[in-house]
Amino acid sequence: MAFLIDCPNCGRRNPYEFKFGGECKRAPDEGADMRAWCDYLFLHDNMPGFQDEWWFHAMGCKDWIKVRRNIATHEIRAIEETSP
Amino acid sequence: MAKMQKPLQFKQPQKSYDVVIVGGGLHGLAAAYYLARYHGIKRIAVLERRYIGSGGSGRNTEMVRANKRAHETLPFYKESLEMWDGLSSELEWNLMVQKKGLIALAHSDPELAAMRMLSDSQRRAGIKIEMLNPKELKKLVPALDVSDRPALPIFGAQFHPEGGTVHHDAAVWGYAKACARYGVDICVGVEVTGFNIDAGKVTGVQTSAGHIAAGKVHVAVGGYSSEIGRMIGMKFPVTTIVMQVMTTDIMAPFLDYYVASPRLHFYTQQTLKGDLILGGPLDHFQSWGSYTTWEESADRAVKIVEYFPDLAHVRIVRTWSGICDCTGDSAPVMGGCGIDGLSLDIAWGYYGFKAVPASGKYSAEYIATGKMPEKIRHFGLDRFYNRRLVREIIL
Repeated sequence: MAFLIDCPNCGRRNPYEFKFGGECKRAPDEGADMRAWCDYLFLHDNMPGFQDEWWFHAMGCKDWIKVRRNIATHEIRAIEETSP
Repeated sequence: MAKMQKPLQFKQPQKSYDVVIVGGGLHGLAAAYYLARYHGIKRIAVLERRYIGSGGSGRNTEMVRANKRAHETLPFYKESLEMWDGLSSELEWNLMVQKKGLIALAHSDPELAAMRMLSDSQRRAGIKIEMLNPKELKKLVPALDVSDRPALPIFGAQFHPEGGTVHHDAAVWGYAKACARYGVDICVGVEVTGFNIDAGKVTGVQTSAGHIAAGKVHVAVGGYSSEIGRMIGMKFPVTTIVMQVMTTDIMAPFLDYYVASPRLHFYTQQTLKGDLILGGPLDHFQSWGSYTTWEESADRAVKIVEYFPDLAHVRIVRTWSGICDCTGDSAPVMGGCGIDGLSLDIAWGYYGFKAVPASGKYSAEYIATGKMPEKIRHFGLDRFYNRRLVREIIL
């Protein structure tokens, strides 16, 4: 594979071990209308460049991690553990 | 003897057109062709930044079929499948349409039951579907292992006799040549960099070859629709994902049908040349960079050898990939986007090839009349806000 993910718990691993969770998005504020929720749910930035995204280490530590990855070149800048 | 045809000539764009189509793939070329031929629109340009058919149009697995799930979309795919039949003579170009038949395997009783329900709804839409038991299946595909040796043995199958293959490059050239005959300007190497929108109405496009005024603009850009979205200040409900394809050594003909397993998510056919095309799932993560991986190749090799044990010695010799714009509900986005004169034909995921003739026809109808045709009514962008997602499946 073109890139590996440094899992904070398990070390460098193949991305096929993970489940991809999509772009990190900010949920609409409480009381937002239906349209805002539909936008949140269905629309994506989908920008060829760096984005923050969720990965779930399904074949490893079963932890959700936050990865900052360039989705055009697969360069990874930062990885953050999210569980308490 | 066949009439000599003039070679296809690409053009430099003029300053103004009635309709500008962004994207010189199959969807864009087909829309241009139906507009020029059936709606009498004279000044049409197709703008392509690389070469025609460079994206998904030339990278798919050439499968055409209509055994989809959602009742809203079945008549559309059925019409598209039927349109391929007469297309070679209509375009005066051999598209190598081969309705070889498609077999979808079931690996358990519940799966078989689900497949029967699926078949019923497909039959109701007028699509020919039969169910096969393992014995009948073995007769059609002698190389298939229908014993209980595989970890997921074959319980039965669905047979879709009208499904098959069409040569995708032939389709690109067929549509391109037909477009040129009806006076469409196909401009390659022209990249669209922006849209001119005046008081909610599109008036033209900015390109690497200068500004082009346009009455209407149609977007058919395959895996790049989010870029168009950014130019017009919109987000689209798509993520870009890579689809990989592998081909094997060339062998003597042994497989007459397209064989797919919805459960294991792999499909294969033997081309006229003799190699097997191995298709499979999309990669599971977002990517704009095209690549092929050892993991996917290995996965497909394991699956094919499981059901065709005689192929154990065969090598994968070539791989390629392309990017697909996927919506959450596995249905495309067609029709308007709230800007007057700007229409969409995007987010075809990896099921866009089979839909080319019908989507071209109905895109053209939408561009010409401004009214959403009945058959693509369910594909509008508004479905994401009206709780009307299409209940489609990927394979």
